[in-house]
Amino acid sequence: MTERRLAWAERAGSAVLEATGWSPDELAELAPLDAAALARRFSVVPAEVLRSSPAAVTPMAGAFRLDGPALVFQPRFPFADGTDYAFLSWPDGLPGFIARAARELAATTAVAGIRPSTAELPLNALRVYVAFSAPMSEGASAHVRLLDAAGAQLEDAFVPMEPELWSPDRSRLTLLLDPGRIKRGLVPHEEAGYPLEAGGAVRLVVDAAARDSAGAPLAAPAERGYAVGPPERRRLDPRSWKLSGPRPGSREPLRLRADRPLDHALALRCIAVVDALGRPVAGRAELAEGDRDWSLAPAEPWGAEAYRLVVAPELEDLAGNSVTRVFDRDLGLPGDDPLPAEPVVLPLPPG
Amino acid sequence: MSTVVTERYGLKVGTPALTSAGALAFGPAGILFVADYAAATVFAIDVADDAVPSHAPVDVADVDARIGSLLGVGRDQVKIRGLAVHPESRAVYLSVTRGHGDAAVPVIVRLAGGEPSEVALEDVPFDSVTIDDAPADDDERQDGWQSSAPEAGTEERVYNGVTLHIARVPLRHSTITDLAWIDGTLLVAGASNEEFVSTLRCIPFPFGDAVRSTGLEIFHVSHGKWETHSPIRSFIPFDSDSSVLASYTCTPVVHFPLAELAPGARATGRTVAELGSMNQPLDMISYRSGGAEYLLVSNSRHPLLRIPAESIAGQEALMEPDDGLPGVPREELPHQGVSLMANLGPDRVLFLQREDEGWALRSHDAASL
Repeated sequence: MTERRLAWAERAGSAVLEATGWSPDELAELAPLDAAALARRFSVVPAEVLRSSPAAVTPMAGAFRLDGPALVFQPRFPFADGTDYAFLSWPDGLPGFIARAARELAATTAVAGIRPSTAELPLNALRVYVAFSAPMSEGASAHVRLLDAAGAQLEDAFVPMEPELWSPDRSRLTLLLDPGRIKRGLVPHEEAGYPLEAGGAVRLVVDAAARDSAGAPLAAPAERGYAVGPPERRRLDPRSWKLSGPRPGSREPLRLRADRPLDHALALRCIAVVDALGRPVAGRAELAEGDRDWSLAPAEPWGAEAYRLVVAPELEDLAGNSVTRVFDRDLGLPGDDPLPAEPVVLPLPPG
Repeated sequence: MSTVVTERYGLKVGTPALTSAGALAFGPAGILFVADYAAATVFAIDVADDAVPSHAPVDVADVDARIGSLLGVGRDQVKIRGLAVHPESRAVYLSVTRGHGDAAVPVIVRLAGGEPSEVALEDVPFDSVTIDDAPADDDERQDGWQSSAPEAGTEERVYNGVTLHIARVPLRHSTITDLAWIDGTLLVAGASNEEFVSTLRCIPFPFGDAVRSTGLEIFHVSHGKWETHSPIRSFIPFDSDSSVLASYTCTPVVHFPLAELAPGARATGRTVAELGSMNQPLDMISYRSGGAEYLLVSNSRHPLLRIPAESIAGQEALMEPDDGLPGVPREELPHQGVSLMANLGPDRVLFLQREDEGWALRSHDAASL
């Protein structure tokens, strides 16, 4: 018997496995076999499965065909980089092995921002966003930790979410602080208290081991520290915000200062400026560091007309209190009854 | 591509373009509902499984390694996300992500006699529905850009005599956490990556040409005092499909009469149990044994819990917390590492269980639990 050789080849842009080194007799025997018959004689499996759980070996989905002197295996799913494969032929079942090279992965993705960007988190903070400079792989939440002042990890501070909560382009991860422990009156809070401790300090740490969508680790870890302040349990009140008016003829950003830090993602899409006809003003909205100062840089110069600020009722603060609703509502407090889910419309002062 | 409308449920022959595959549920006549959680879309696929029914138990060690072997990767590249049993053939269907990041591929795997095979999704009868107010992939508002109106995605409203073209704020259902087929309606629970809300969608099936899946707001009351508005993790039909039991992130179990779950409504459920802290419910099923109905809840931290149905019907909405865990009586079952669950015919339940380095599928006689 001639020695069997395994090699990678490219066919129609995808990798195939070629087995060569067949004797003329073997080739003559294989030539009349169709794909189904070849699949009874040969199989390809991940070597790891063969080595660690041989009873679980299932032939890899794909098709064999004879192409000249080579038996070609075209996999249904692409061969994975950095994976060893075994080629099995029956009846002897002896494996031959071949490795797919691991790709060199440059660590180029970084943490682009951690929100909230406040110095202080309310005790009942609800939500944290980690923005990355490029799309990520799922599983990143395992690499985000909350540490206390002594550097000890706060266990179970975040709700395990399956699937994880990503932005559609998978570049921003949302983490929820355990709401069971935020809700007053629910048992978990009674038992375990808040994830955070009033008067304390915490650090949110993103480990470099989080993988980007190419599988590379982050270029560097990232972190942000917070003091822990008192809980926030009031509805947001846009009527108390400080508003600057647009200056006609200028493109100066319109600015507002909210009554407290706002949820970053919601602030960017729940606050808008409309013109005298009620049409939204196009431009770029930003929520500055500190999460209280919102601005809109208009695409076109401001006119002399009367503009209005429109705040959607879904806007929330850092503790999940919205314009209409207190996050954890005490049914015994009529003042906390939800308001109608209407936008708040405020006239803007002259610039 | 030509499309053919089939007789069944308005499905059209084609290739469903799944971007992800999460929760699974079987609907009428073996139609498989697949939650494409990344695209906030539900696919209905006729898997045409007319295999001779198997009544054998299911006992498959290393099911993740088996699926990895089929898909050409090690078990660390296999993530099992959904589990359902075909009502007729009793074949096991699993939704799987193969690989990570850019290389991730959703696959539906059918398991019969312990052998996995890929469910082919080329030229199959299917339909899909996208959850109404999910954001477009190219929603520029993500980076703070606000466009002028009127245009798509805005609505005209009159407020204090002034007409406003208000951008409709999309609820960002970037995930679908569970699906259930109840009494002719598909119920879909989602979680948003921004608003912390609970919206349940009732979607009629067949989907039809102009599906408007209206959500309903779901609240639950604990201790007779606190009203909560949090995402549903998992839910099941209960009490002969007359009601729904839902489990939440902070682990209450809540009872809703099905009749209250009308589109556009605001439903307040009755919290019947608190399953404890530092815990996430993973899945729920109900089963019958000895003439009684039981609920099983698998958990991230806590053991598998069993609750008798009759105690739920009689449970008052939870009032002040007492010592320990309030609510209906529950007992801990000894099965370790249970995550996803399904009914395997009327007399067996099926668990996806963590064992050593991997996952196993184990069926159990209902009478033995």
